[in-house]
Amino acid sequence: MTATTPTRMRPTGAHAISAGRTLGRILAIGLLVVFAGFPVYWMINTSLSTNADLYGTGQTFLLDLTNVTGWWPMIEGVPLLLWLRNSAVIASGTALLSLFLALSAAYALSRFRFYGRGIVGFLFFSTQMLPEALIIVPLYALFAGYGLLNNHGGLILANVAFVMPVAVFILKGAIDKVPHEIEEAARIDGCSRGRILLSIVLPLVLPSIAAAAIIVFFDGWNEFLFANTFISNADLWPATVGLSSFLGEFFTPMNQVMLCAMLFALPAIAFFLWAQRGIVAGLTSGSVKG
Amino acid sequence: MTAEPASRTTSRFRPTGSTGAPHSGGRRPPGASPRPRSFLRRLRDQFGIYLFLLPAVAYLCVFTVYALIRGVMLSVTATRLVNPDGGRYVGAENFQYLIASDPFWHSVVTTLLYTGFTVIAVVLLGTAAAVALDARFFGRSVVRAIATIPWAIPTIAASLIFAWIYNDQQGILGQGTRALGLGQPGWLTDPDWGLFSVTVATVWKAFPLAMLVMLAALQSVPHELKEAAWIDGATRWQTFRAVTLPHLAPTIRVLTLLMTIWSIRRFEIIYVMTGGGPIDATNTLVVSIYNTAFADQHLGRAAAIGVLALGLSLTVTMIYFVVERRRERKGES
Repeated sequence: MTATTPTRMRPTGAHAISAGRTLGRILAIGLLVVFAGFPVYWMINTSLSTNADLYGTGQTFLLDLTNVTGWWPMIEGVPLLLWLRNSAVIASGTALLSLFLALSAAYALSRFRFYGRGIVGFLFFSTQMLPEALIIVPLYALFAGYGLLNNHGGLILANVAFVMPVAVFILKGAIDKVPHEIEEAARIDGCSRGRILLSIVLPLVLPSIAAAAIIVFFDGWNEFLFANTFISNADLWPATVGLSSFLGEFFTPMNQVMLCAMLFALPAIAFFLWAQRGIVAGLTSGSVKG
Repeated sequence: MTAEPASRTTSRFRPTGSTGAPHSGGRRPPGASPRPRSFLRRLRDQFGIYLFLLPAVAYLCVFTVYALIRGVMLSVTATRLVNPDGGRYVGAENFQYLIASDPFWHSVVTTLLYTGFTVIAVVLLGTAAAVALDARFFGRSVVRAIATIPWAIPTIAASLIFAWIYNDQQGILGQGTRALGLGQPGWLTDPDWGLFSVTVATVWKAFPLAMLVMLAALQSVPHELKEAAWIDGATRWQTFRAVTLPHLAPTIRVLTLLMTIWSIRRFEIIYVMTGGGPIDATNTLVVSIYNTAFADQHLGRAAAIGVLALGLSLTVTMIYFVVERRRERKGES
């Protein structure tokens, strides 16, 4: 067997080493695929198992696609669609408010020097250190006073405080890359800074806005701690709280739990894989410079 | 006084600093001496800039700064959940109580162990996976997609999947280790194994982001340097050590910082899988804040734990920036 890896520079005897190396790499990549992929496979497998399999004869290792017929009754058995709708409302609200607040702040941080720039930068960064669990105690007291408990609006307000800074980092990174000269001409023509931001910079950073929107939307979609604390009315639960209730006092068959988890995860997986490149570029330019 | 001190502060929080680069200037070219202008004049000039920042900053002031101040104030009171506004001032009593309590110190140790193992495993595995998936091979894009999925999966779904894999009766992991004759520990029910199991689940969820970030960073390693090392007869490992790793180092450091901060405050995956149990084995500081506040209903004491946890995160961040600054200075001189 001749190895395909570049071996031209290698001294004689390198072929054997190379073959061993290729084998080692295949093994390592195989292990990686199993480690990363197996839990996901097992979620799908469990959702395709019957109760008799799970709690009697034992779950089979291969997928039994004929059990797909069991999916619809399982979905109907829980208020999953209601939970997903609540999650969508919360996530959309979180995304819209975050982007609205983040865009102008990112522009200012990217373009201007001003007193307190360091403090503002630190303010945004520090939200990444703050344990939500610490903030949740005073927020709970605050929200109780304003009727914001059991309220999607209150939940959105709390979510935005933690995800908006991430959007600021991403958008700042994107605006940093927009050349200055493009704005100069407009400024000479007497455009206000707001106009420049909206009509010149905004269209140029649209891909990053999309990436930021996806990240922020799914932060809202996935959020659990605030929802679990602020929303006690089961009709208002987002899917995260609904799903976690499956592990609580009531017994829910695991195939049903895994099916719901899968349907809940599906939009996130689809969007993240689709927009992966943009999201990673956004995250790296903003907070992690490569 | 010029704007210089402020901008230097900023560069500390942006590791490879964009200050001084042409695009961050705007008001005046970097290096040019500032025209002497009065403080008020400059402030008026900058009024428009503050308007851009106002919405976001005001928002954070209410929902994080104000809430944080309230949290710190709560930590010196004996507030109970039933009456969140009517706590009596007790000074440092909550802190004294915590410092004298074994469960608190156990919680600190648990947090450090969880954070340490998670960060090391995530950074190592993420870097190794990135290097492995950077090379071209058949099916690479499929493997990359599979390795990316855990990052895209919502944490709650990951927690449920792992809770099922670890299940004592029907869990596939226990069945597997039993079939191999290794016996079956209670992955989430045995205090000796709880932290390990939760850490593995966390690493599964968190390593793909590290991998993706490292993959992006690998693209910045100049190919010519690698080839030069090849020609000089360096082995792969030597090339990696001498050429690739130095290019990745800044990214690895930032990644380590972020992973550490995120691990100290990570709540959901632990709470959903174990609730802090078995027998406090996974009761990290953040989980114990929640349990103290909403199960024991001691808001004051919970806030005190929170203040100490925040102190831990701040310490880590400060260490990072001090190290980074020293390195920068060394690089400059």
